[in-house]
Amino acid sequence: MTSEPCHPIIEDALSRKPADGRDLSDEELVERVKASLDTEAFGQLYDRFSARVYRKCLSMTRDRALAHDLTHDIFLKAFLSLNKFDGRSQFGTWLYRISFNYCLDHLRRRQRGPAAVELDAGVYALADEDLYEEELMAIRADRLETVLDAIDPTDRAVLLFKYQDDMSVKEMMEVLEMSESAVKMRLLRARERALGRYKQLFPGEE
Amino acid sequence: MSENPFKLIRLEEEPPEHLRKEVLGSVRLAVLMMRFAQLFVADYAAVLFDKFKLRRDDDDPAR
Repeated sequence: MTSEPCHPIIEDALSRKPADGRDLSDEELVERVKASLDTEAFGQLYDRFSARVYRKCLSMTRDRALAHDLTHDIFLKAFLSLNKFDGRSQFGTWLYRISFNYCLDHLRRRQRGPAAVELDAGVYALADEDLYEEELMAIRADRLETVLDAIDPTDRAVLLFKYQDDMSVKEMMEVLEMSESAVKMRLLRARERALGRYKQLFPGEE
Repeated sequence: MSENPFKLIRLEEEPPEHLRKEVLGSVRLAVLMMRFAQLFVADYAAVLFDKFKLRRDDDDPAR
C-alpha cells in the first residue's frame, strides 16, 4: 500500500524534530538558559565546549585529576555568571576567558612563587614580532614539555594559545583582555623567557 | 622547517564521561537553590506588601 503524498507544509511540519536545542546557536542556547534556567540547554553548551575546556585545563596543568576538577568548576562558574555574558564576544571566547583565568589563578595559588620578572618594555619597542620564534620551534617536543612546566603559567598559556591553538592576536586580545601591543609584548617575553629556561635546563643543546 | 613541537605535545583527550553528570548535577543543585531563594524573596516581598495599603488620589485626606 502506498501512502498518498501530503501537502508540502504538512510534510515539513511532520519532518521537524522537537526543539531540543541541537539546532540552536550558542547564543540562543545561552538566552534559553538565562530566561528559564534551562539545564538541558546548558547541557548542550557543555557538549559543545567541554572537550575544548578540558584540553585547555589539561594543557595548562598537565594533570588529569586537576583538569577534571577545574573543568567542573569552570562550567559551574560559567553557569552562575551567565547573566554577565552580554554577547559582545562569542560564547566560546567568553568561556575560554573564564577557563584561562581560572586555571591561571589556580596555578598561581599552587606555585606561590615570585611572579615572572617584567622586562624593560623599551628593549622590545622596535623588536621583530617573530623574534625567537624559529629557535622556539626548533626545540624537541619532550624538551619543550619540561620547559613549559618550568615557566610562569601566564607565559605557558600565551605560548599554547599562539602555537598550539593557533589563536590570532585578535582572539588573544579578547581572551586575555589586553591591547594588541600588550599581547604582542606578552608573547615576545614568553618566547624569550621560555628560551632562557631551555638554555638553563639543557645547556648543551643550543 | 621542523614540525611545530607545540602540536606534538598536544593532548587530544576527551573529558571523562562522568564529568557531564557531575557538572549538570551541580548546575541542577544551583538552580534548585536559586529557585528556593526566589521563593523566599517572593514570599518575603508579599509579606512586606501586605503591610502597605494602596491609596487612590481621591482618598487623600488633605483634599
